[in-house]
Amino acid sequence: MIKIENLEKVYKTEEVETTALNGINLYVKEGEFVSIMGPSGCGKSTLLNVMGLLDKPESGSYKFIDTELLTLNDRERSNFRKRNMGFVFQNFNLIDELTVFENIELPLIYNKVPTGERKKLVNEIIERMNIVNRSGHFPQQLSGGQQQRVAVARALVTKPKLVLADEPTGNLDSSHGNEVMELLCELNETGTTIVMVTHSSHDASFSNRIINLKDGHVISEKINKSRNEELI
Amino acid sequence: MFKLNLKIALRNLLKNKVYAIINIGGLALGLTAFVLMLLYINHEESYDTWSQDLKNVYQIRERHSFFTPDNKEYWQDLSNSRVAGIIKSNVPQFKAITKIDKEWGNGFSVKINKNEPVLIKSIKDADSAFFHVFPYKFIKGNSEIALKEPNSVVLKQSLATKLYHTTDVIGKAFRLVRWLGDKGIPLKITGVVEDVNTPESVVFNAISHTGDQDHDPTDPGNSHYGEIYAKSESLLDTTLLNKNLQKVYVDFKKKSFSEQKLNFKEVYADGKMPGLKAITLKSVHLNPPFATNWIEKIKPVIGISVFLLLVSIINFVNLSTAQSVQRAKEVGVKKVLGSYKKQLLTQFLLESAAQGVIALFLSIILVEMLIPAFNHQFDVKLSFWQSEQLLTIFSELLLVFVLITLLAGFYPAWVLSGYNPISVLKGNYENGLKGIALRNVLVVFQFVISVTFIIAIGVMEMQSRYMNNKDLGFERDKVINLKTGYEENFVKRIKQIPGVKYVSTTTQVMGNAFNTSTKITFKGNDIELNRVSVTMDALQTLGVKVLSGRLFSKEYKQDTVNSVVLNEAAANLLGKNLVGQSYGFKSYDNKIISFQIVGIIKNYHNEGFDKTVLPTVYKVSNLGGSANTNNLLIRFDTDNYNGILKNIETEWKSLYPDFPMQYESLDDAFSQILLEHKRFVNMIILFSVISVSLSLLGLFALSTFVAKRRTKEIAVRKVLGASNIQIVNMLNKSFLILVMVANLISWPIAYIIVKKWLDGFAYRIEMPVLPFIVATIISVAVAVLTVSLQARKAAVSDPVNALKYE
Repeated sequence: MIKIENLEKVYKTEEVETTALNGINLYVKEGEFVSIMGPSGCGKSTLLNVMGLLDKPESGSYKFIDTELLTLNDRERSNFRKRNMGFVFQNFNLIDELTVFENIELPLIYNKVPTGERKKLVNEIIERMNIVNRSGHFPQQLSGGQQQRVAVARALVTKPKLVLADEPTGNLDSSHGNEVMELLCELNETGTTIVMVTHSSHDASFSNRIINLKDGHVISEKINKSRNEELI
Repeated sequence: MFKLNLKIALRNLLKNKVYAIINIGGLALGLTAFVLMLLYINHEESYDTWSQDLKNVYQIRERHSFFTPDNKEYWQDLSNSRVAGIIKSNVPQFKAITKIDKEWGNGFSVKINKNEPVLIKSIKDADSAFFHVFPYKFIKGNSEIALKEPNSVVLKQSLATKLYHTTDVIGKAFRLVRWLGDKGIPLKITGVVEDVNTPESVVFNAISHTGDQDHDPTDPGNSHYGEIYAKSESLLDTTLLNKNLQKVYVDFKKKSFSEQKLNFKEVYADGKMPGLKAITLKSVHLNPPFATNWIEKIKPVIGISVFLLLVSIINFVNLSTAQSVQRAKEVGVKKVLGSYKKQLLTQFLLESAAQGVIALFLSIILVEMLIPAFNHQFDVKLSFWQSEQLLTIFSELLLVFVLITLLAGFYPAWVLSGYNPISVLKGNYENGLKGIALRNVLVVFQFVISVTFIIAIGVMEMQSRYMNNKDLGFERDKVINLKTGYEENFVKRIKQIPGVKYVSTTTQVMGNAFNTSTKITFKGNDIELNRVSVTMDALQTLGVKVLSGRLFSKEYKQDTVNSVVLNEAAANLLGKNLVGQSYGFKSYDNKIISFQIVGIIKNYHNEGFDKTVLPTVYKVSNLGGSANTNNLLIRFDTDNYNGILKNIETEWKSLYPDFPMQYESLDDAFSQILLEHKRFVNMIILFSVISVSLSLLGLFALSTFVAKRRTKEIAVRKVLGASNIQIVNMLNKSFLILVMVANLISWPIAYIIVKKWLDGFAYRIEMPVLPFIVATIISVAVAVLTVSLQARKAAVSDPVNALKYE
């Protein structure tokens, strides 16, 4: 589904140039759950941002089901993003002024889904995420785990082809972390492609394939046999 | 989406109540001054708009041919009455022409049957065509025939109600007594017209048709001057019209001169040709013949209020951007979820618009509350909801609203919608905190204005106090000025009333001065002096101070012939040891008459402090009878003279039953002179209050901003052991520098402005230092207070939170 070739990204400040991505080649198949790991500063978040069309690389190619995405302008990128991708962040990034329901509803509004259908979709996902009794609450009134469930719900409500997760368990304790990981697995089992950046090999063990990055290069790639067997 | 954004906006406002109040309140304050000014401008613009037909009404103006001190060309609104006739026969475009007598005196006495006379202002005498030109609506009577017969009068509805408590007054009659001693004209009421609801240039309570305006003086050498108005069927080309009028008028002048056996060319040898023109009635109010027009007068006020509105907008921008950090995450999330920059821009602009609407409503409430005071202060009748121009005002406000929304909302919206989602979602708000230097400049700028205002108030206050307490050179209490001449019989009667000390008259009284000059020859030098004629007791009545010699007295026979008293200013011109010396005066038949100086008095102020006391010579003359001064000064020997006044009024009524007695105390006349000055000071105070509050808001915004920017620094310092006070001091220091810089800049600015203002007074204080020091102390104190409020909050917060947050 995703084919990335020779991706280069350089950050420039007045004094130094840092190469964040240095000729990355990568593919992700439809329905796959890929983890990206590596030490701090290896470029994994940059890669995720580029994949999420939040950042522009200097050169290279990024094809998403045969569509070249790097040539799109800002508006086209926004449109592509809101139709095809969902995001889960380490620090949840829920809008404090909106209730759980409204937060989840937001991407549907941007996708111009009619009100009636919006209500239906949000209610469905709220039920699926087991946060029905929280739907009128504001983010600050929820625990971290619950907040992340809302964030996941928000990422999924548009039924995106690709979910990008940036250390989704980073701010959670282990039990809540596991909950979220199980949620992502379930999601993956229903066919959603997931790319996740993580520090935790425990979290990575939930995925099909683990890609290791260092200094902007892919240094190794490992198929997660146990998970794949599980799937079979 | 709109609903959701509205929810976010409201919840944000509620969450940050203080900011919301300050932000909206500040804008409302700036708007209030602006709206008041708009109302005032609208009011002035609404002159003579009460009927569509007035578009075709013109006022005739004649070129002012007398000497004017500034040598500028003036067109007076009083024209030779013959002009009406000439226009009638030479300008066929005018379908109706009316002549109105100029208003004179303080009003006319209306005497209904045996009732007490009532003094009514603005009863104007016109010819029968008045209502053919001015389309007033008749409630009773008929505009065609109302003024047809002589000795008819048409009342305004308000006057009819005042005099008769009804508008059913057709056929009723009263006697109009125009001056004391006038035997009066009987007038029959033939019509009542509606009061109009916008101001008029031709103000009247009643229009009489006595017949006086129907004829021009028979002798070509005599002229009668009055206002002339003409009405056309349609709008005329004034350039063309005026060319014609000019030609017609010059022809008339030439003809008239030859009748008087005068040489036209000789009379106009100086090149100042006679001139005649017509101006539209609509432009009459904007072009007073001699005074400065209202636009010129309020230009500084317009400047200040526009400026204050800008300052409040700048503050709004500052506060919004300072606060935008809190919205960064929302922007980041929305962008990730696929929002376009334009959508976000619209969202934040709408938020500003919503705040703008609230501010606008607040300012309307404020305006409603302030209008009574404003009207009282500036002697106008403004209204908001009852205004005739409500629609105009609303459309203007809509325009202002759109403008302030764009000005105040665009920058914050731009900053917010420009956030990079990757960085803000990681908690990095750097780009929300740019532009600190610009904000510093703005704060300095605002404080410069505020400090200048405070200094100005201080100096004005000191000058006011100086003027209130200044020795006027005469005793202004216990003296009243009766509006009548020196009638021997009346004076004899009131002199007998116990408590009356002196009764006299002079041609020069406070609030009622006309100066005539006289040329004298003293020791071979020609000197020009101001001449004031007085009765024997006048100087004693005023209570002037004698510096040397004596005042006039009955004991000296020559005092009624050739004794004079000089004031100090005149004495300084003439030299020393003047008492007993004489000067010469050339009479009209070229004889030299000698006058002896018998006394020198201290200068006394009969006009405002903006004018110098003229070098003046006082001379006794017979001021009764035809030499009516209309100033009868009465000095009492007690402060409590109300009872005595009643006795005087009784005498008055028995002598003059047809004309009401009018008087004012010299104390009041003096206050009246200071009134305009006081109004100006009050206006400056009003603007200062707004300006200072806005500056404080600005400072509050900036300190909030800085405290936020330095959250991490404050936390680190606290972890390392800094006390709260140390933190507050640290934050205060940077602002104190700004305020001090502002003070340094404003001192010379204030000095120049205030000096110029003081120079307008002939009698003034030396430039004081105190207001400068006080302004500095006040500005520093309020700045420290404002910043400390904000700094304390930052200082006492738990450092752990701040560090974790980062």
